[in-house]
Amino acid sequence: MFTIVTQGTFTQPSTAVNQYIPLPSGADYFVTTNYTQMGLDPGTGVCVRGEWYGGGITASNDGLAWYKSNSGYGININTFANRSAAGFTYVNKYPAPQAALTGTTITQATAAVASVTNTYSNGDQVVIYNAVGMQQISGMTFTISSVTGSQFTLLGLNSSGFASAASSFMVRRVAPYAPVDPQFLYVTAITQASQAQVTVSQANMVYLGQKLEFTIPGSFGMVQLNNYYLSQNLPVVVTSIVDAYNFTINVNTTNFTAFAFPASSGSPTTQLFATVAPAGQSSQYNPITGVQTGYNFQQLPFHTGQFIPYMLVPAGAQSPGGAANDVIVWQAYKMETGTINAPVPS
Amino acid sequence: MTFSTGITGIQNMAPELPVQASEDLLSTPMFNLIHSYGVDLHHAESYIGKTTRMSRFERLSTDGGQLDGSGIDPASEVPVRTDIDATMEIYGKCIVTNEQVILWENSKTLTKFTALLGQWLREKEDLLMRDLFSSSVSYINCTGGLNGDQPSNISLNDVNNIENILLGNDARTMLQSLEATLEFGTAGVRDAFIALANTNLCADFQKVQGVLLKSAYPTQEGIRPEEYCSISRFRIFVSSKAARIPSISLKGNTVYTIPMYGLEAAAKIEQNNYTAVIGYRPPWVVSSVAQNSELYAKFAIARAITNQNWISGLNATTFMPS
Repeated sequence: MFTIVTQGTFTQPSTAVNQYIPLPSGADYFVTTNYTQMGLDPGTGVCVRGEWYGGGITASNDGLAWYKSNSGYGININTFANRSAAGFTYVNKYPAPQAALTGTTITQATAAVASVTNTYSNGDQVVIYNAVGMQQISGMTFTISSVTGSQFTLLGLNSSGFASAASSFMVRRVAPYAPVDPQFLYVTAITQASQAQVTVSQANMVYLGQKLEFTIPGSFGMVQLNNYYLSQNLPVVVTSIVDAYNFTINVNTTNFTAFAFPASSGSPTTQLFATVAPAGQSSQYNPITGVQTGYNFQQLPFHTGQFIPYMLVPAGAQSPGGAANDVIVWQAYKMETGTINAPVPS
Repeated sequence: MTFSTGITGIQNMAPELPVQASEDLLSTPMFNLIHSYGVDLHHAESYIGKTTRMSRFERLSTDGGQLDGSGIDPASEVPVRTDIDATMEIYGKCIVTNEQVILWENSKTLTKFTALLGQWLREKEDLLMRDLFSSSVSYINCTGGLNGDQPSNISLNDVNNIENILLGNDARTMLQSLEATLEFGTAGVRDAFIALANTNLCADFQKVQGVLLKSAYPTQEGIRPEEYCSISRFRIFVSSKAARIPSISLKGNTVYTIPMYGLEAAAKIEQNNYTAVIGYRPPWVVSSVAQNSELYAKFAIARAITNQNWISGLNATTFMPS
């Protein structure tokens, strides 16, 4: 017996993003139909339907891609892997990092750029390790952006002050969220200012009014931000969100030791990493503006980071998630008895 | 009529039943449940929403305060309250069983399945607490080991560094000291913080300078089987499911996170009227022809790090790559 368990639809925003579809009952078969592209003629070769089979038949980041001929309604079928496009990834437990890719360089720049042949998407989280020449970031998790098939940008890392570029590195894509949020984050920069500005390596994970505790090893300089040194030992409070990677705190760091990454050559004995961890929140109410900060009931309470199991449906014209403004219909099927590898005998 | 002659053996007369069940079931594997040790247990009331708030008043400043006799009052201070919220979440699992299994299985199928669900419930709860420790706490890489990796294998200096952090933040130990006794090969154990580690690290723990294996404790009374050893001010409990992150060390080896904490570092919140529910739905409810019955287990849990200053920990690799 083959029973449909759930279905739904989504419309990609003006900048298409990966979709994470919760599947409480799991899935043995998953299919997406790009309703927007399916009816277009010519089809310009884009993916109009994607299929995923469970039981280990479909590899991670793969599946069957139905795509149109470059002209007309004709359909071709191939795997996403053969088309060098991102395919489905079904996750039924908190994922181990996906298969490693070997990159060539990470630049010294105000936003470091990593060169690696990949099928990642904007907003993915990756772990970079064994970055030869840039070992001080080896093991850190980053949010990536400006992704192309050959490189991506680490907006949360200013590596312009590093002694050298990375001449090779390994990278793996990991889950979009930690098992529990709010999570600890890697700190990549802290300014010396009356309200210090902090940069972290992952985007959109800090909130106004959130309290934090820093762990800054001596190798990074600004140890005065550790709770032990702070006057009255109060937790640090986020006073403003500058952008996805930057926020300010209520600590005057003007006279603190400058924050700086240790040298790559210090590894493996240099103490790593500089991190910041969630420590609750501080609610503030402005009676004049009527604005209350410090409450974000969606994000600030400790909670599960990502519903599992889920299907990662990556965005992209050649991928099952579709491109900007595409309307995608998805359906998840679950066998009531047996599995795809061991169906009930009949 | 002919008669067969000769010896009657199992070649020509096999037992009527080829197998029999042994007198008892074999053990179902279960990993050590360590991730709620030393964690504060709170209870959430029903009918007041699903988010529980734990609040702490921070201590007042000790700067100034002297009265100079002029009659001028000292500056008033606004106390600071820190709120830590945790969202209640519900987890469940079910086993739907056809009547023919119950009819023909040797005995007590539903009893066995109920025991399995009970075990699932506690295992899942343990893993959820593990995930809290692995996601929401800052860890420091070990650097004192000699395996050349980043992080390195664990060393005494690394452990002492975490003790410094906890003591510097006024964390309190939670395990009482074990008084020395007149037994050869044993030594007293100081009051201690708790550390939780993966069983893959056991070989490395044995090599850490100053390690006191559990067998060398002055008493075994009240010592839990999950405890492995004591290093410096930490008593270490191990589980095969303790946190590990595959393939992210400098050399691409598995990194193990070791949460190390004192009193009131983390909390587990149970939901009144919804903790550890195990139930049965009979066949006439589950199935149109009354052939399938269902056993289920559910529980509610919220979790939080309640004081980041009283928890820290280490990232470590193993001396031999794992």
